[in-house]
Amino acid sequence: MKPPRVVGMAIDWVEARTGAVAFLAPLLTHHVPRNAKWWYVFGSATLMFFTIQLVTGVCLATLYAPSAAEAWESLRYIDEEVPFGWMLRALHGWSSNAMVVMMAIHMLQVFLHASYKFPRELNWVTGVFLLFTVLALAFTGQVMRWDQDAYWGLGIGASIADRIPVIGNQVRGLLLGGPIIGGETLSRFFALHVFVLPGAALGLIGLHLALIMKNGISEMPKVGATVEPATYRAEYEQRMEKDGVPFYPDAAQRDMVFCGACLVLLVVLAAVYGPFGPGGQPDPTLIDTNPRPDYPFLWIFGAVSLLPPASETAVMLVAPLVGVLALVAVPFFANAGERAPSRRPGMVLIASLAVMAVAALTWEGKTSPWSPVMNAWSALPTPEHFLAGRTPLEVQGANVFQFAQCRNCHSLDGLGGERGPALDAIATRMTPDQLMRQIQQGDGNMPAFGRNLDSAQMTALVSFLSTLRPEFEAPAVIPGAQLPLPVQRMPGEVVTPVAVGSQ
Amino acid sequence: MSAIRSRLMMSALLAGGIALIPATACDRLPGRPKAAQSAQEGSPEWTVEVFNTSCRGCHAQGAVGAAVPLMDSAYWRAASDEQVTRGVLEGQGMLMPAFGLSGGGPFTPAQASALTRGMRALWGGGAQKSPEISGTLVAGNASNGKSVFDVACAGCHGVGGSAGSVTDPMYLRLISDQGLWTAVVAGRKALGSPAWNEPMPGRPNGLTTVEVADVVAYLSSQRPRSMSELKP
Repeated sequence: MKPPRVVGMAIDWVEARTGAVAFLAPLLTHHVPRNAKWWYVFGSATLMFFTIQLVTGVCLATLYAPSAAEAWESLRYIDEEVPFGWMLRALHGWSSNAMVVMMAIHMLQVFLHASYKFPRELNWVTGVFLLFTVLALAFTGQVMRWDQDAYWGLGIGASIADRIPVIGNQVRGLLLGGPIIGGETLSRFFALHVFVLPGAALGLIGLHLALIMKNGISEMPKVGATVEPATYRAEYEQRMEKDGVPFYPDAAQRDMVFCGACLVLLVVLAAVYGPFGPGGQPDPTLIDTNPRPDYPFLWIFGAVSLLPPASETAVMLVAPLVGVLALVAVPFFANAGERAPSRRPGMVLIASLAVMAVAALTWEGKTSPWSPVMNAWSALPTPEHFLAGRTPLEVQGANVFQFAQCRNCHSLDGLGGERGPALDAIATRMTPDQLMRQIQQGDGNMPAFGRNLDSAQMTALVSFLSTLRPEFEAPAVIPGAQLPLPVQRMPGEVVTPVAVGSQ
Repeated sequence: MSAIRSRLMMSALLAGGIALIPATACDRLPGRPKAAQSAQEGSPEWTVEVFNTSCRGCHAQGAVGAAVPLMDSAYWRAASDEQVTRGVLEGQGMLMPAFGLSGGGPFTPAQASALTRGMRALWGGGAQKSPEISGTLVAGNASNGKSVFDVACAGCHGVGGSAGSVTDPMYLRLISDQGLWTAVVAGRKALGSPAWNEPMPGRPNGLTTVEVADVVAYLSSQRPRSMSELKP
């Protein structure tokens, strides 16, 4: 297959005036390690998702009204009236999540393979800055939805800023464009989301790519193939000259196949699950709301929710700082020596712990078991097997259980809140007296209900709870009650107590 | 050469396929947001939605749910619409909170009565309120009620009865006279308690309407008048 002569002539014409081919050809054909294979596709996929973000983002910017009064309505307009509008929003939203995920995988791979070692320290540093830029894009993007999640997300962000000593107030004012969340806030975040952060990302990506060209793609780590800063560069270039393969088409085709697969997945996700939100109107007077941050921040939400209250300020302000510094510092205190994961067990451990922590906290944030289920009392019926064969008083007790909203924090049959313990077998653990005391006075995490329930309600509730145990398990008893019953004493008689099990 | 050709063809097919998804079926894709429209007030969908979030916790079907089951035609045969609507708006006894706006709940009077009509349409079994017996409390004679209770009810519902005592002062304290009336009239089939006109041990033909009123009057008379009468 030969291209027509006219194509060649056109290329020559442009080349003579710009030198574009002479500039691009070495970029495309620079040598990359032969053994890199599929490990190195994640960075390209991240770049593809960023490109999709740019394209869909520009399209959305032509439709979105960045004013507090109109933003929410304009999303409805995009979703329902603009042809393909919902698809545009779905692609932008899913691609945003995909970019964060792909970036995390890319970073993890670089970390595990120690590709950040000499001379690629600054590749890593620009990558870390890109990570935070992309997370900032994700957060400001969530604000663009201007729904309840956005409103409360901003509220939480602002109150974290407010905790900064001395200048907290000023930082919050700078963030929100005033003392409260309002029209100014949206304008501010819109400017960040469409001008400042994408500009920063573009610059950082350019730098990142330039550094890749300058330093070359790192080889697969091999036990014993250590990095010696004095000789590394010369040896690397020699190896590439001898054994490398040109980026295009050898490595590029793998990138393209992987990006193609990612693209298919993205379109399917967008088509099946649709756009994110918008949730309810961002009205702070609507308290019947259950705001959650977007996926990339669920783990932070989980962590912050689980912090002991006394440690909140210290952890919220210090942990991010330590995190950023630690990430940036990685290549500086370990920039030479072994790259193979098998020789760096400490680093592998750190990476595994980080992944597990983020995964576990994301799960916690997603399920947020600490949140009461506010409509459980009126929406989740008492299961039949906890009612059958009960006395009228016990059935009324089940009514008290719903009425007093116990269900919002305590589950039966796995349904209900998880803030308190499940009560399916509470009668095996607590006697009626203990139940009575716990409900009246509260304890641990539980508020006292003594003033909310009269003695009839309390009696009914306790008698219902005392039936909650499997038939084959004995009811709870007070430890002392296990002692043999004392012998009826005659006046003057002395009875020696007998310890259990001494016979 | 043919390898390149087939690879090109594959790519073209793939790209075409991706482009086709949104182009052909955009309106029918599952991800397309549905236009936000809440169900019409009083429609079956609306009724079910409201019931599921606000009522089901206590009033679910059969034995599931602790209070009077509303997904049960036996109840709707006994209850009048006005009485149910009033119960929704103002609450009842000590354990049914008010769901009317004025009581801190979510419903306007119009919504409460739409909810009542919607529930009757869904679960009333096509029956209007049975004309045989009043849905609301009728005054009766307590001393007659005691003799009826001893014969017809006490076997199961008396002190030491198999179904547990309904003369337990704590129980009576928690249930209103109207609640007793509904319990006697509608029964709790799924929990083994017959409706007023169904066979009972000692009363193969159930009770008469006058006897229902008398039994309820008797039970009401057993209720402690003040908390100090209660000895837990």
